[in-house]
Formats: sequence, structure tokens, C-alpha cells
Amino acid sequence: MTPRPLALMAKDLRLVFADGAGIVQPVLLGLILVFVFSLSTPVGHDVSAQAAAAIFWLATSFAMILVFNTLYSSEGSNQSRIGLLLAPMPIQYIWIGKALAGGVLLLMAQLVFLPAIVVFLGQDEVTAWPMVLGCILLVDWGLVAVGSLLGAMSQGHSARDSLLSVVIFPLLIPVLLAGISMGSYFLGDGSGEDLGSWIGVVLAFNALFTGAALLLFPFIYGEY
Amino acid sequence: MKDNSSLTSLAGPLALAGGAAMVLAQYFIWVYAPVEVTMGQVQKIFYLHLPVAWWGMICFFIVFCASIGFLIRKSPGMDQLASSAAEVGLLYTTLALATGSLWARISWNTWWTWDPRLSTALIMWFIYAGYLVLRQSIEGRRKMRMVAAVLGVVAFLNVPLVFMSARIWRSIHPAVFASEGGGLEPEMLTTVIVCVAAMGLVTAALILLRFRQKNLQERLWSLYASDSRFNG
Repeated sequence: MTPRPLALMAKDLRLVFADGAGIVQPVLLGLILVFVFSLSTPVGHDVSAQAAAAIFWLATSFAMILVFNTLYSSEGSNQSRIGLLLAPMPIQYIWIGKALAGGVLLLMAQLVFLPAIVVFLGQDEVTAWPMVLGCILLVDWGLVAVGSLLGAMSQGHSARDSLLSVVIFPLLIPVLLAGISMGSYFLGDGSGEDLGSWIGVVLAFNALFTGAALLLFPFIYGEY
Repeated sequence: MKDNSSLTSLAGPLALAGGAAMVLAQYFIWVYAPVEVTMGQVQKIFYLHLPVAWWGMICFFIVFCASIGFLIRKSPGMDQLASSAAEVGLLYTTLALATGSLWARISWNTWWTWDPRLSTALIMWFIYAGYLVLRQSIEGRRKMRMVAAVLGVVAFLNVPLVFMSARIWRSIHPAVFASEGGGLEPEMLTTVIVCVAAMGLVTAALILLRFRQKNLQERLWSLYASDSRFNG
């Protein structure tokens, strides 16, 4: 039998791709951000590696907001949320399922953002691709842990996109700083002497918010 | 609804004591403490900056504790305490950022710098401003309280990480109490202690006054909701 969080993830992914739109909106928003920020330097000048990494994680963060709003609004109609709440499983499985689905969708969006950074921002000195992937996965874990916890918060709210952005972005600062710093190193900038410290910050962030989410998610999702 | 009158009745005496202590603090700031050689009178900003920064952070800690209390006991009083402390904390952090920026301009020749304490204060300002916006935005008081309590907990848990991440960037903030004597003249240290104590009394009074207002608002709302004439 499929473990229930994986079943929930599969259900959400099927729903997201059912109408053919999939993750078009988050990807488009991210690409627009990359393109607009490419205008921040004079023609012929390269964008610095740190700026490129910041733009990448900014695009990812905005995509994450849209992804989790989509995932949590899928139970908005027909009282489907009650069905999930009544399912014979711990309520935390919903958080895990949504986080996994969000992680998959975010990775798909990043598969588009990464080449866009290379092309639009002139970052063609990417080193150590496996390390880049590891760094992205590590930071994504933190993003989806917070996104899945607080995504439930704005469910049913008319201005949920803006509300979620205002609340989530400041919380994500440590993990975003780490992502930008590590990304900057892998794009060929800096000595990487703080790399270990940044990995420590991300691991601490991920552990803290995963633990907090497992404890606190029932309070948010179980409430009407 | 639980009556919190014994607690809120302390607000008046605390406000009076806080006012008197603030007057005393002015004496210490302008008469007792020596004028700093390099910065001159501008250094006096420090006696406002440090107390509001510290008490702002303590207010956010109160939000954290009250939020946990609300999640455990589901008591509206805990929620009211959390939101009162968040408002006062946000006000103090705004003052700390403004005074810190003035200090930075004179001392470091820049309005802003990526310093761990400055950055942490600014990020906390954003988080708690979002917290207060969230409280206004969510429909349904029960849900709003629950969501605000969860945010009140995770926001404070984030503080050490925000500080650590900002610290990996270079810091130029003075380490006021890092060494023995704190790098301050004894008169300055005494003045700082007096100012922190005075601000503590004002903080307690402000939180309790706001708490009382919210408590009364809740009672009025309950009366309004239970009156059959208004329920049609």
C-alpha cells in the first residue's frame, strides 16, 4: 500500500496537472522576475554571482507562494477539507503530503529558473553540479516546511497570495541568505570559507521548522 | 469570560511609576552621565536606543509565551496579551531602528549596514508587522487567534537563526557589554541601568493598558453578540 503522505502528494500533483495548467503560473512569474532583474545592469555588463543567486531564490520564493496557495486551495470547494480531516490518519500526514507535492512542483519550476539564470544573467561558470543540486534540495526542504505550514493559514482568504507573502518572506530570511550565499559560491564567486556555516544554518532551520510544523500544523489545519 | 481586573488594575500605578522613572532617567542622561568624547551629545541616543531594543525583544518573547499559553489553554486572555505585547514590541522596534539609524549615520557614516543586530531587529519588525496584519486580515476570530498563536511561536523560534545568519556577514556593531565593564564608563553604565528599568515600567504599563482595552473590547463584543435585539 502506498504510504499515505505519498498518496496525498500523488493526489495533489494529479489535481495540479489535471487542468493542463500545472505550474505554468509560478514558472511564468519566476521567469518574469529573472528577466526584469536582468535589466538592473547596463547592457554588456554581467550580473554578479551573488545577485544571480539572489534572483534565483527570489523567483523560487514567489513560485513557492503560488504553489502552496494552489495546493491548499484544492480542498477549498465542496468541503473536501472535511474529508481530509476525517481520514483515518494523523493530521500531520496532510502537512507532509503537501510539503512533498510542493517540493516536487518547486523543483520542476527551478529546472526552468536555473537555465534562465545562466542565459539571461550570463552565469555560465557553474561549478560542481551535484553540489548545486544538493544545495538546492537542502534549501528547498526549509522552504516547503514553512510553506506547507503557513500555506494552510491563508486558506479561504480572498487576498491569500499577498497575505502569505507578507508573513512568510521574513521567516524565510535565514534559509534564503544561506541559499544566496551557497549559490553565489557555486556560480563562481567567493572563497566558500563560510560554506560549512551556511549548511549548518540551513540544517538547523530545516530541523526547527520541520519539528515546529509537526507540532503546530494541527492547530492551523484543524481550525475553521 | 474571565475577569482580568486584578491584573489590569496594575496598569495605572505602573504608568505613574514609569512616568516618574522616566523623569529620573532624564536627569541621569543629561546631568549625571558624562558627554562622550568622540560623538558628543549624539551619544545620548544610546540611552533610548538600548532600552527600547531590549524591551522590544522581551515583548516578542512575551508574544511567544502567550501564544504557547493560548495553544494549550485556548484562553482569549492569552491571545489578547500576545497581541498587546506584539503592538508594543513593534513600536519599540520601530524606535530602536530609527534611533539606531541616527546613531549609525553619526558613528559609522551610513544610515544602514548589514549588522547582525540591526538586521535581526529589522527582520523581527517585518515578522511582527506581518503578525499584526494577519490578525486584521483573517475572518473568524477563532481561526485568527489560532493562526496568530502559531505565527507567534514560529516567529520567535526564528530569532536565533536570523541572528546567526546575519552574523556570518561582517559585524560592526559595538559590543556594549561584551567585555568586563562593557566598554562603558561607570556613570554611563548606571545611566543605562536606570533607563532600562524606567523603560521596563513603561513597557509593563503599556502592555497592561492595551490588554485592558482589548479585554473590554472583547466583553463589549460578547454583550453585543448575546443581545437578542441585535441578533434579529
